[in-house]
Amino acid sequence: MKGLELFTTVTYAHFLFLSFVLFALGVLGVLLRRNLIVVMMSVELMLNAVNLTFITFAKALNQLDGQIFVFFVMTIAAAEAAVGLAIVVAIFKRFREVNIRFFQFLKG
Amino acid sequence: MSSELLFSLLIFAPLVGFAFNGLLGKKLGGHLYPGVIASVASFISFVASVGLFQLVSEQPEQAKYLVIHAFDWMQVGTFRLPVQFLIDPLSSIMILVITGVGTLIHIFSIGYMAEDPGIAKYFSYLNFFLFNMLILVTGDSLPLLFVGWEGVGLCSYLLIGFWYEDHEKAEAGMKAFIVNRVGDAAFLLGMFVLYSHFGTLNLLELNSLAPKEAIWNWLDPITIGTLLLFVGVTGKSAQVPLYVWLPDAMAGPTPVSALIHAATMVTAGVYMMVRLSYLYTAAPYTMIVVAAIGLLTAVLAATMGIVQWDIKKVLAYSTVSQLGYMVFACGVGAFSAAFFHLVTHAFFKALMFLGAGSVIYGMHHQQDIREMGGLNKRMPLTYWTFMIGWLSIIGLPPFSGFFSKDEIKWFALASDRGGNWIFWGLAWVGSLLTTFYMTRLMAYTFWRDKKYSADHQPHESPWVMTVPLMILAFLAATGGFLGIPHAIAQILPGHPNHWLEHWLKPVISLPTIKQGITVEYEWLLMGLSVVGSFTVAMVTRYLYLNRIDLIDRTRERFEVIHKVWVHKYYVDAFYQKYFVENLVLSSRDLWRYVDVGVIDRLVNKIADVTKELGRGFAWLQSGNMQNYAFITIIGLIIFVLFLFKG
Amino acid sequence: MVEALLFWFLALVTLFGAVAMLLVPNPIYAAMSLVVSMIGISGLFAFLGADFIAGVQVIVYAGAVLVLFVMVLMLFDLKSETQAFSKGLLSRIFKVASVGFLLGGLIGVMVLEFSWILPVFMQSSPQWTMTGVKKMAQLLFTEYMFIFQILGVLLLVVAVGAVALARSRGGTHERA
Repeated sequence: MKGLELFTTVTYAHFLFLSFVLFALGVLGVLLRRNLIVVMMSVELMLNAVNLTFITFAKALNQLDGQIFVFFVMTIAAAEAAVGLAIVVAIFKRFREVNIRFFQFLKG
Repeated sequence: MSSELLFSLLIFAPLVGFAFNGLLGKKLGGHLYPGVIASVASFISFVASVGLFQLVSEQPEQAKYLVIHAFDWMQVGTFRLPVQFLIDPLSSIMILVITGVGTLIHIFSIGYMAEDPGIAKYFSYLNFFLFNMLILVTGDSLPLLFVGWEGVGLCSYLLIGFWYEDHEKAEAGMKAFIVNRVGDAAFLLGMFVLYSHFGTLNLLELNSLAPKEAIWNWLDPITIGTLLLFVGVTGKSAQVPLYVWLPDAMAGPTPVSALIHAATMVTAGVYMMVRLSYLYTAAPYTMIVVAAIGLLTAVLAATMGIVQWDIKKVLAYSTVSQLGYMVFACGVGAFSAAFFHLVTHAFFKALMFLGAGSVIYGMHHQQDIREMGGLNKRMPLTYWTFMIGWLSIIGLPPFSGFFSKDEIKWFALASDRGGNWIFWGLAWVGSLLTTFYMTRLMAYTFWRDKKYSADHQPHESPWVMTVPLMILAFLAATGGFLGIPHAIAQILPGHPNHWLEHWLKPVISLPTIKQGITVEYEWLLMGLSVVGSFTVAMVTRYLYLNRIDLIDRTRERFEVIHKVWVHKYYVDAFYQKYFVENLVLSSRDLWRYVDVGVIDRLVNKIADVTKELGRGFAWLQSGNMQNYAFITIIGLIIFVLFLFKG
Repeated sequence: MVEALLFWFLALVTLFGAVAMLLVPNPIYAAMSLVVSMIGISGLFAFLGADFIAGVQVIVYAGAVLVLFVMVLMLFDLKSETQAFSKGLLSRIFKVASVGFLLGGLIGVMVLEFSWILPVFMQSSPQWTMTGVKKMAQLLFTEYMFIFQILGVLLLVVAVGAVALARSRGGTHERA
């Protein structure tokens, strides 16, 4: 697997690499963005990166369990989004803005 | 019904009663509910034990027991401790006595405790006691027995100090608890010794592993183990030198004294020795100690009983004395006789304590017998039932005490495990002393002219109290027929055998009769006992009713002895001076120097260090979510690094 | 070759969406970029033979979750944002560096410790022995039944909790 072959064939490593990059981008979003909603979107991106890994291994190992797990992760992600957005709404009601720095007020 | 179901009913009925009364009793209010619930629970338990007794009697002769496995408690190395219960001829009788007498005392308590604000608490303790006592007698291994042993100790403590607002009573509870600790520590050590020698603590296995030949060696593990267990017995069954807690335990409510400090708990030690009869017979040195301590207790307690003025104290010393007889019987190998006396004693002593309770109730909580007198007219039911208890304890036929005490005295002479004339003589003297102080009690309480003041008219107790008295009186009167002595059996039509001995034969070691002791001796001893008791009773009655001056003169003449007896041979003072005071002093020093100086300082230091550390790391808690996330990511990186295997 | 082209196309779309979401200051655009990325991932799922999951991905993420985000954004009219990124050059450098380290670590682990997966080609891997929604449903309703039920309960709790949270007046502290 040298040179051009890297681009002309597709291995599972390609998928894994892609999912790592997506995960890293998601982490960067969480660490750097200040808008709460964007932070949450980044979290969704991280979850999706993990999902991609799951599906890749499900295919590579020829086991359906990976897909089932993706299913569960999606459910959790939806739940998390719902709760997270509810918190965002609460934050907005209080501060008229959804900046992550407002969480500082939760410090005891 | 299956044995499991019956057994569950047996032990869970009191437990449920305990939980119910303990948690809800006070909420329900009322003075009747807790007692009724507890009595019903106890009665269910009694019915279950009747069923279990029936099941055991249906078992074949060679395997006359039921084993109920609950669950495995622990497994450490090769040591496996199942929570397993054994219903065999011995424990089946024991649970009948516990639940039967227990139920009667519960019912009695409904009347006796009716006006007490803590009635729900009282009944929950009482039920919890039953539960623990049942665990004690049915547990199939020494650790399980010990669980019950400690449980009944706890209940005893709680019930002695039931009126804990009274400082003296609270202290009596503590005294009982602490004195028992001494015995329990030895009990534990005994278990260790036996386990290291036999590799098991199962009661059946211990008995079957016990050597058939007696081992005459002080340093043999069996001798040491059984001796240590016996120290536990001296604590629980109030033997010399640890008997001091039992007279003080009379601070508790009178039905408690009847149930715990006369009929059941204090006999636990005797029960344990009967249980391990094969082990004890293998250690003859232990047996000598047991017999000596038992006899010493029997006689000493009797002498102290003579000079007591509190009706319950008289009965308490009498209990110590009777327990001494039981232990003594174990010591000469007459385990069946000891157990027989345990059962009859449970009947007549519970009867007498409840009778005393009834008297105290009728006398408006007056316990001093000098203030009583003439109660036979005022409280006829109490009087007549008490009379049966009296006849029983002084050993006049055909009441139960005659049979069991006579059997013990017979084996004191006839047992080939150390029976001799000296033992018999002392036992006989002890029983005459018993007759003396019991008759004194009767004379002061009932026969004498009335001494109570006119505004304290005694009254007969309500039927919830008198009915249990009558049932117990019936049992005390007839319980002796469980074990008719051979001499009498021979002349009776049909030759009824000694039922109890026959019933216990599969599980306990039975004594053999020394050579050269024939049935004529048995008649002789029996005659001496009966004639002696009868004479002493009559003389005492005469003296106390007609010639009280003679008694007073004798007392003045032997002032020294009287003083020693009143001061309980100065044992309490000795303990106070040499143990309690030193303990208090050293505890105070420990508190001042070790606790405050070392432990507290150490703890404070740890707290200070933690505080400083926390302050040092406080900047991490900036409240900035993204910094937190950053730290998480660093953790994740470390985790990823762990994935590199090499 | 066709496969490779398809993969690279989907990968680029996905990455583009992700990077765009990370960089654009306006949250609405970020959400739209994320939708693009999601759809790309959905395509990758389908490419890997997980048809059902691919469909769910589009419906749940692109359809439901992102719509929820956008709705919240529009509800509060949040298009203007003075500062999209956290302050502090040093902390930014640390953060980016740590993420780079993480990425390097992950790739390193894959290359060094899970090297068996490197040369496995898509073409050479065996066909799904089990496939389709039916098989998945069988698994879901037998082996994973309990988890499935628990998730149902979780969703109910979340629905209630989200409503309760959103109805609150914003924190326990009284407004100053």
